[in-house]
Amino acid sequence: MKPDLKTLTIQKAHEAMKKGEFTAVELTQAYLDEISKKNSDIHAYLEIFGDALDSAREADKRFKAGTATPLTGIPFGIKDNMLIKGKIASSASKMLEKYHATYDATVITKLKKEGSVFLGRTNMDEFAMGGSTENSAFGVTKNPHDLTRVPGGTSGGSAAAIASNMALGALGSDTGGSIRQPASFCGVVGLKPTYGVVSRYGLMAAASSLDHIGPLARTVSDAEIIFNIIREEDWKIHGGRGDGTSTTKETHPSKRIGKKKPVIGVPRSFLAMGGIHADVKSAFDAAEKKFRDLGYEIKDIELPSNQYALPVYYVINFAEISSNMSRYDGIKYGLHKDGKDVVGDYFETRGAGLGREVIRRILLGTYVLSSGYYDAYYNRANAVRRMITADFAAAFESVDVIITPVAPSPAFKIGEKVSDPVAMYLEDIFTVTANLTGLPALSVPSAPAGSLPIGLQLTGRHGDEQTLFEAGKDFLGE
Amino acid sequence: MISVKDLENLVNLARIKLTDEDKQSLVKEFDSILGYVDQLKKVDVSLDAEGRVGAVRNVTRPDMPAPVSSEDRERLLNEAPDREGDFIAVKKIIAQD
Repeated sequence: MKPDLKTLTIQKAHEAMKKGEFTAVELTQAYLDEISKKNSDIHAYLEIFGDALDSAREADKRFKAGTATPLTGIPFGIKDNMLIKGKIASSASKMLEKYHATYDATVITKLKKEGSVFLGRTNMDEFAMGGSTENSAFGVTKNPHDLTRVPGGTSGGSAAAIASNMALGALGSDTGGSIRQPASFCGVVGLKPTYGVVSRYGLMAAASSLDHIGPLARTVSDAEIIFNIIREEDWKIHGGRGDGTSTTKETHPSKRIGKKKPVIGVPRSFLAMGGIHADVKSAFDAAEKKFRDLGYEIKDIELPSNQYALPVYYVINFAEISSNMSRYDGIKYGLHKDGKDVVGDYFETRGAGLGREVIRRILLGTYVLSSGYYDAYYNRANAVRRMITADFAAAFESVDVIITPVAPSPAFKIGEKVSDPVAMYLEDIFTVTANLTGLPALSVPSAPAGSLPIGLQLTGRHGDEQTLFEAGKDFLGE
Repeated sequence: MISVKDLENLVNLARIKLTDEDKQSLVKEFDSILGYVDQLKKVDVSLDAEGRVGAVRNVTRPDMPAPVSSEDRERLLNEAPDREGDFIAVKKIIAQD
């Protein structure tokens, strides 16, 4: 039996391979065939790995031996900012165009242990800065639903690969919405887990206090399966908090309000801030009604400090980026351009290797951290970040899940926002709060059939991905 | 809000070679981006009970040498743009005169 990629899920593929309906080699070959048909138009992948079928053959041995696990033989697209030992990992930057990873990221180690297949590395905005995948140094990815539109970003290649059946699972990273917004634009499921639950070891750092790795998949159940494999058993050890203590502002899953079904909160005044596309508004209203029809209690909530989330996010993002990007010096690895002396080498290398958005953020970060501005920008942003987190903690006293749109509009046209950085930044208005607070957030498709995809975002308590999966599956009828 | 001279100072701190044209357009973009984030200045941060950075703190592992196989050492050194034996080569830092 030939795998039917249009209806396939991870669970179905696993069962089919277990029963011998098709092999892992046949499954991988089916995806490689789809890639050779579609990737030249969509450009979801920067590189297809030559050894994918070798991994599939190894997976078939496990099925024969009866040692296969849920992700054995499942074909993945991996975002280009995660390290797979021996393979190029470029972060879609000229700076790392020829850089070979020297070790495996923890998430890769975990998938290798499962015997998953890596099809290739997926396109992204350079160093995970952007919201459309237009900032890739190697060409834009196109939205599979409309090739004149962006797939979202920064994990645009991973989302487009899932949406066009060029991968069954994918990994993305999310610093301000980079998993959820492309999932929304491409009509797939994306999860940004709780901060620290998934190890960032081997993920190229953008803004470390905001960076997360998470899955993109066709269904909530698939995202859940991937999450359960890549997560750390004891996330407090690996989280930023790390010392086993929690702050007073932290929310906990044990406090669940809804006994049968989770109670859903809607931040009305935040949604009324304006700028929401009419189609997004009507998809959101329909989603709210659907939850009511499914028997969920819905409460209005207030998140008063959320109106400042975007400026807070960008100040912290610029500051951390300017620090993290200093490692690209043309000496240890990556691009090197000769200057007249060692300092001249830095100037030449960074000027030639870094793209426009990256340079813009490094300079803005250098500005907000400079003496005289540090208090007005960086310290103030950190204070407001805590206020936002406190607002969410208060809201989670009376609800279990908060719903909002993922992005203010459906996928926009390629080129529409490239010349206006602030317009591009406004794309992130609903997604950055989960990065600032570390709360888990799930994007699920919610558009009516026939229109461009539109995602619904569900945000939960720290460590409570389970409630998001439960509500998400209910919503999609899984 | 910021001058080309201010921007040049940042460019020098960040060690990035830019053309004059790049600098001119970056100054304009700075104006619109800083104009946007400036709304932070009107927030009453006295509502922030903790009042200081560090409520959530980094926990680092001990800074100890980790064993590296000779194969991994080779991989690491081979990624350097210029190597001499088991060292990464750079231009002379102190002049001899």
